[in-house]
Order: sequence, then structure tokens, then C-alpha cells
Amino acid sequence: MRWVAAKNRAKEVDRAGWGRTIAAAVVSLIYFFPVLVIIITAFKKHTDALAVPAKLIPDAFDWLVPDYLTFSPTTENFVNVFSRSFSTGAAAQDTGFDLFFFNSIFIAGFSVLLALVIGTIAAFGFSRYPLKGNDTYLFVILTTRMLPAIVVIIPVMLMFRVTGLAGTYTGIILLYTAFNLPFTIWMMKSFFDELSRDVEDAARIDGSSDRRVFFKICMPQVVAGLAATAVFGLILTWNEFLFALLLTGVETRTVPVAMSQTIGGDIGVRWGLLAAIETLFLIPVILVTFFLQNQLLRGVTFGTVKR
Amino acid sequence: MASENNPALRLTNISKRFGDVVALEKLTFDVRQGGFFVLFGPSSVGKTTTLRAICGLETVDSGSIEIDGKDATLAPIRDRGVAMVFQSFALYPHLTLSENFAYPLREAGVSTNEIKKRVGETVEMLRLSHRLDNKPATLSGGEQQRVALGRALIRHPKILLLDEPLTNLDAKLRHDMRAELKRLHRQLGMTIVFATPDELEALSMGEDIAVMETGHVVQQGTPDELYERPRNLYVAAKIGSPHMNLLEAKAQPDNKGLDTPFGPLVVHHRDLPADEPLIMGIRPTDIKIAKNGEPHILTKVRLIEPLGDLTIVSFNAGGSHLRIVLSEADAIGIQPGQDLGVVIAPEYVHLFRKADGVAIANAA
Repeated sequence: MRWVAAKNRAKEVDRAGWGRTIAAAVVSLIYFFPVLVIIITAFKKHTDALAVPAKLIPDAFDWLVPDYLTFSPTTENFVNVFSRSFSTGAAAQDTGFDLFFFNSIFIAGFSVLLALVIGTIAAFGFSRYPLKGNDTYLFVILTTRMLPAIVVIIPVMLMFRVTGLAGTYTGIILLYTAFNLPFTIWMMKSFFDELSRDVEDAARIDGSSDRRVFFKICMPQVVAGLAATAVFGLILTWNEFLFALLLTGVETRTVPVAMSQTIGGDIGVRWGLLAAIETLFLIPVILVTFFLQNQLLRGVTFGTVKR
Repeated sequence: MASENNPALRLTNISKRFGDVVALEKLTFDVRQGGFFVLFGPSSVGKTTTLRAICGLETVDSGSIEIDGKDATLAPIRDRGVAMVFQSFALYPHLTLSENFAYPLREAGVSTNEIKKRVGETVEMLRLSHRLDNKPATLSGGEQQRVALGRALIRHPKILLLDEPLTNLDAKLRHDMRAELKRLHRQLGMTIVFATPDELEALSMGEDIAVMETGHVVQQGTPDELYERPRNLYVAAKIGSPHMNLLEAKAQPDNKGLDTPFGPLVVHHRDLPADEPLIMGIRPTDIKIAKNGEPHILTKVRLIEPLGDLTIVSFNAGGSHLRIVLSEADAIGIQPGQDLGVVIAPEYVHLFRKADGVAIANAA
């Protein structure tokens, strides 16, 4: 089957024509360029990182381009992410970034999962057992995401102080779960709305209880939706900065916060180090998206084409 | 226990409302054991709601449902022994064919070996042996239909409900499936309730037909009874293809016959109400072309519709449009615009009261 798929893909290239394919590649490159610069910078020494015009080509290609555009790649930035000396001549110290990466993964993963579990059940309820004023409830749920974060940060901080949630995993996970819920509910509701009710009724006639209808019939049909919702939620949570800055403690700090705190010090912004952190920070999201891409594609185009 | 005396299914005075909309209103009918029962009526008269009430997907507001002589009005869905094929087929899109077949058995806790055996039997019965590992979306409409049927039959239900199962198929497949369904019915001997808006399906398949109008049964009977003795105008107009010709008429005071748009017509019916407007009905097959010299009604041909072996001829008679069905041979040479003499035999005339549509005299 694989070769058939490859053949079909080749046919698609034929249909679009090389001109359009190349145009698409150029546009993609423009979009991807900032990310590319970050990844390249992660492999530069400090002096190369500051050079103008920017050195974008590794020196393995110096036979192709003038010397002043090439740099010699180094992996020292990546080592420095986890352990470096904080003042000239001092011994290398653990930077704590292994913990921060763990925190980011744990907090984002757990809260997205929690939002998915609660949100999916809630969405099913909204879709199948509508209340009087169902749409109003759905609207109210969404209003929590209509305000800029900065507006709600003070009340949230006060709540965290009073309840003792500030600086704890529980606190930040609950907060992110609450952030992800409106989006999860809206997304999942639209997926449930699209499912054929006849199929569920058929299962009921075949002897299934409502619970089995949900788990055996409905859930398997919205796997793509779950994947899409999870990825969007994950990206939002993964990149969240403001609340993490104010509500996490030393032990629960996430990568975006820790990253910002590397700025400063005796040699100014260490671009190479920053780029290395960012590059590492990209990897989990890219991996998740890559492994879910088939589901994701089906998920985001769900309902836009006739089944 | 199932007894020959009890009907397989008895609905008594079933009513169901959705908000302000009355879906079913005092719906009553019996289905005999092993019968092929057809619920016939145009869309939105409550056929689907009736089926959903029988299998328990809808609870009724009032009235009672008996299955095999036992009250099942409030019985849980799974205890009713009823299976249903949906108009949309409603196959489980995420399961393969064999998993679709196995689903009702799994839910009933049937052992794996037994499931395997029964899936094998069902597949053979429906001639579907290939493609058992495919998902429903890869199948053609006809194949999906058979899978839906197989999934309903696999747990040997007492009653099989079919909700317009042929509507989503093309004409050729529809014809094949009609024969297939009848074969299965003979082979398995179960009770079938078949809902359809298609009169041809209803007449050709039903042993017993209930004609529905806005939530209740107007008339229940065999195809012949409905065709020959329609109880009112609604049934008369719905049953038979092409439809019965309906014309306004009035009884003559001396009770000799009718005043019709194309002149007086002698009929055999006696004691007709002279002071009331009537509707006269005559089947397109019961109007003949006048032979030479025979007294006839003069008409003008408007339209010829050749259907192969039969031809439908529409014509004008005294300002009314009528249709007749002729054999292909009889229709040769008839042209639009031509004058045509026709004869209406008095014994074939149906008469209805115009006010409420009730039949006062059927064809002899």
C-alpha cells in the first residue's frame, strides 16, 4: 500500500505543477525562516552570533560562499544550557534546566490531559443533553478567554496567595486546565455534533448502555478531534509565560520563565545559549505534532468536507 | 411465550408529542406473527417515530405497546428483542465489517466462538464473504445496506424494523434488495415492520399495509383491499400508480347516475345523497378506449408517456385532466391533440363524499 500512496503523491505533484510547488516551497521557507535562524544560532559561538551581516552558513560550505558569511558550528551552547560557570573563571554549575524542562513537560502534559478528560465529557453533555439556554452557557464558558491575561492576573494571584496554591504544581496545573477547558469544550462539542445520532441509536438497539455508547461508539470516532485539541492546547500551555512567571516558584519554574532569566549578566544577552534553549524547547512540540499529524489533519478539516 | 394467537406486535392508542408538534395521535395497529407489515405514508407522517417507539428509542406519552402479548411500553430497549435497520444504515464507521456484525452479540455477552460462527452464517446468508476487514466507508451503498441488515439479523430478533431501507439505493439495487428482503423473510420467518413512502414498495412487499396520515393509521389491509376498497380519498389517492383519477361529481336527483364534468354518467350505485358534492374516482387502468360505434366520452389527448410495455395517456375531458394506462399495442398511433373516445365502465367507479373524503361506494 505504501508504494501506492507514494505514487499518488507523485501524481499530486504532477497535477499542481513544478511552478506552484516551488512557489509553495519559497513561501514555506519565508515562514520557517525565523525558526531556522534560531536553530542556526544555537550552533554559533557568541562572537559569530553577534556578527553583521548574519553568518547563516556552516563553514563546511566555505568553498561555496565568502568566509565572512560562514561560522564554525559548536555544541557548547547546548552543554551550557544544563551546566555552565556563572562568572568568569568560576567552576561550572548545574543550571537547573533539566528540572525546568521536566516542569514544562509535566505541567503542560498533565493540564492538557486533565482538560481533555473534563472537557470531552462536558462537551458530550452540551452536545447530547442540551440544557435550557445551552448556547448561553457555552458563551459564558468562552468569556473567560476573552480578556487579556494581564487583566485577570491580579485577582488570580490573590486567589493563589490565599489558597496557598502559588508556587505549587497543583496550582499551575489547575490554572492551565481552566485555561484549556473552554477551547477543549468548544472543539470537542463540534466534533460530537458532527457524529451521526443514528449510529448511537443503532448501538442502543444493539444493547449498549449510554456509557458504552459514549466509550465504544462516540469516543473512537472523535480520536482525530482529541488529537487536534490536544496539540492546540499543548502549544498554548507550553508557550505560556505571564502566569508561569508570576505563579510558579523556584521548584516549579517552566522553561519560558527560566529562559527569560538567562538574559543579562556580564556579557549581555547570550544569543547562542538562548537559541539553544529555544531549539531544545521546540523538540517536544515538533515530536508530538509529527506523530499526531495524520490525526491532526483529519481533526482540523473535520466537518469542512462532506463525509 | 410466543403464541400464535397473540399478535407479534400490538400498538394501542399511541400518542407522542415533541413540544407543540404532534407526532403520533392515537396510533393503533396489529402485526401478526411472522408477517411482513408495511407502514406506508409520505414523509413526516410519523413512520420513523412509530418505529423508534416500538424499539424503545422514544418513550410514548400515552397508549401501550405489546410485543408477543406482553406489555413492553416501558421495557428497556435491550429486552424488547427488536432490531432496526436505519435509513442511513448507521454502520459503526470506526469498526470493520466483522466487528460491526459482532457488536450486538458482544453487547449481549455471546461467547467468542459463537460470535465467529454466527458472523460466518450471516456473511454467507448475505453473500458478503469478502472484505470483512474493511471499514464501512469503503463499501458501496448496496453493500452497506446488506451489512446493516446482517447486523440487525445476527442476533435473531423477534421483530425486525426497517426504516425506509431502500430509499438511499439506486433504482436497480432497490429492485434487487426488494427481492432479497422477501427471500430473507421467507427463509427466516421473522416478523418484519417496514416503513416506506414508496407505494410500489409498499404494495409489492407488504402482506399487510397500514396507510398513515399525520400520526395515525387511516386504513389497514392487504394490498388488494387498499387498492379495491380505499376507505377514503387519502388512501385512494396514495395507493395505485399512476394515481386514481379524481373528479368532482353530483348525484342526479332521480338516482340514475352522476353529473360529471364531461356529462352524465350511468353508475350502478344506488341511494346516493343527491344534495351533496361528491368526488368520483376511477383507476387509470379502468378507462378503456371506445370501440367502433360504442357510446363514448369525447376527449382530447394532451400528453403521451411511453413506459415501455405500457403507455400513460393524459387527456382532457370536459375541462378535467384524466389519465389512462394502455398497453403499448393499444397506444400505437395516438397523438397529442387528437380526439379520443373513451368508455368508463360504471362498475369501476369509486365515490367519495367531498366534505370529509370518506368513501360511500367502492368499485364493484
